[in-house]
Amino acid sequence: MKRPVLTLYCLLVYAFLLAPILVVVGASFNAGNFLTFPPQGLSLRWYVTFFHNDVFMRAIRTSLWVAAVATVISGTIGTMAALYYVQHAGRWKEAVRIAMLAPLLLPEVLTAIALLFFVYAIGIGTTTMIGMVAGHVLITLPFVFINVSASLESFDPSWDMAARSLGADRLTRFRRIMLPLIKPGVIGGALFAFIISFDTFTISFMLKGIGTSTLPIQLFDYLRTNFTPEAAAVSTVSIALTLVVVIVSEKVLGLRIHRF
Amino acid sequence: MTEVSIERLTKTFGSARAVDGISIRIADGEFISLLGPSGCGKTTTLKMIAGFEEASEGAIRFDGKDVVNVPAEKRDIGMVFQNYALFPHMTVDQNLAFGLEMRKIAKPEMRSRIAEVLDMVQLGGYSDRYPNQLSGGQQQRVALARALVIEPKILLLDEPLANLDAKLREEMRVFIRDLQRRVGITTVYVTHDQAEAMTMSDRVVVMFGGRIAQIGPPSDIYERPENLEVAQFVGQVNLIKGTIAGAAGPGKSRVACVFGDVTVDSRTDHTPGAAVTLSLRPEAIELKPAGQGGAQGKVTARYYSGSIIDYRIALDSGETLHVQTFPNIRIAEGDRVSVHAPADGFWLLGAAK
Ligand SMILES: Nc1ncnc2c1ncn2[C@@H]1O[C@H](COP(=O)(O)OP(=O)(O)OP(=O)(O)O)[C@@H](O)[C@H]1O
Ligand SMILES: [Mg+2]
Repeated sequence: MKRPVLTLYCLLVYAFLLAPILVVVGASFNAGNFLTFPPQGLSLRWYVTFFHNDVFMRAIRTSLWVAAVATVISGTIGTMAALYYVQHAGRWKEAVRIAMLAPLLLPEVLTAIALLFFVYAIGIGTTTMIGMVAGHVLITLPFVFINVSASLESFDPSWDMAARSLGADRLTRFRRIMLPLIKPGVIGGALFAFIISFDTFTISFMLKGIGTSTLPIQLFDYLRTNFTPEAAAVSTVSIALTLVVVIVSEKVLGLRIHRF
Repeated sequence: MTEVSIERLTKTFGSARAVDGISIRIADGEFISLLGPSGCGKTTTLKMIAGFEEASEGAIRFDGKDVVNVPAEKRDIGMVFQNYALFPHMTVDQNLAFGLEMRKIAKPEMRSRIAEVLDMVQLGGYSDRYPNQLSGGQQQRVALARALVIEPKILLLDEPLANLDAKLREEMRVFIRDLQRRVGITTVYVTHDQAEAMTMSDRVVVMFGGRIAQIGPPSDIYERPENLEVAQFVGQVNLIKGTIAGAAGPGKSRVACVFGDVTVDSRTDHTPGAAVTLSLRPEAIELKPAGQGGAQGKVTARYYSGSIIDYRIALDSGETLHVQTFPNIRIAEGDRVSVHAPADGFWLLGAAK
């Protein structure tokens, strides 16, 4: 294939993928009362409405909180699992991998229903956020696991031996040698986890309690009865938040990743 | 400083004996090489000394103290790896500081020791570079510096020059040897390159299949190989068949071979008539134009390589010889030649164990 043709082809694919996002973002600046594209006049009125809407604000806080907690938990568990998988699993390696990736392979709705039964069976129910956080941890775990184990596979065992010969105990070696060297994988995995958690619908829908709607759920509720550009404003803010998380982590944490 | 004593050291992996009951006494400040073909257990031995592999049997003593149960991080060892194993996220300076920080050395002393060692490996201006900003030879010297800066009891090196090109490798040989002499540290060096082992070591340990075939100074290993295997592994060798003709004074035997009767050190009490093998190094042989005595033969091949010429000679008696000479004699392929071997060029080989 010739280059210009290839370029054009790529542009078309991107346009196809990105067009819906552009439409949503465009529609959010609508001055009219209905969700239309192209917008009928430009205005920020729907953003104002959105930022004054307590229900949405609470949903955003819930989403961020759940995503943050789920990321920390699945970041920790996923990293430990990857460490075990790469260094100690031995003949259980394949089994460990399948178990860790299972949430990715099963339909999310099955995972959600099973978990719902489970939290009621053990009496936790959905009055607390425990069930929902557990669900988010479950579906984000594979992403941390994949990223961290990929970076562990390229970790040279002789770095660890060198550190040992220099007198470093196990904890020091982990903190000063291994962690910095697998950091790109850990950060990448955590980013994925955060975004997946922030975005997920099914798990949150099944496991939410009263007043613990996440943003996607709240948006869904809203769209059942309303059709204003406020929905587009919510979506745009949610896209922006995701982008901010990615860019900030890249800038703050990523700088050191690309050093070597 | 430190004397290392290894006693009947054994390492088994399942039923395989990677290292099979080796014993070595390494004197304080000595430079010892473990030399042998791939898979003979050199790295495994080194790892047991370092503490990365547990010994299955036997003892390792540093200055008389058994260290078998001391973990690697407490053994106070400097180790240089084949792939250098520099920490890629740390600068040269941070790499060197790591071991000193583990030892809780105060900052000012740390600075001066790092500066001193970097100077020693001629990398004074490089302390802020990351490993990937250094050439292979420079990384090698940083690895050496990192191992030396902690002033360890023992320096262990596992094929540290294997990844360098030929010229740099020769430079580094001399460099490491000189440095080791100056620092006076007990050193164990693993290699499968016999020339490397020869030029650097006080003594060479030749290993085959997890066992020691011979220990001795390089000249002994080369000139007086214990057996056929050692002779063949350490440089090139001609094997000359002969029969014991009788005794020739105390400790000497007369052996009849294609070069006539030669006198050699008798190493086992061979009875007259016993078949034996003599070794004769290619560079010990002298070639002269045909008809000047000695064994007669014909040049079947000639390989010129600058400082020396290699010849293959087919003797009239049927044997093939490998000869190396300086290029100052002009003998062409197909020429007939007289082959002379000096009396002290022969060495009686023991049977391989
Ligand atoms: N972890 C292990 N498990 C099983 N067998 C092993 C292990 N490590 C080494 N061996 C075996 O022990 C023997 C000696 O290995 P070692 O690495 O010491 O050889 P070496 O002399 O260093 O060889 P090379 O020159 O190729 O590095 C080999 O046969 C090897 O296959
Ligand atoms: Mg080896």
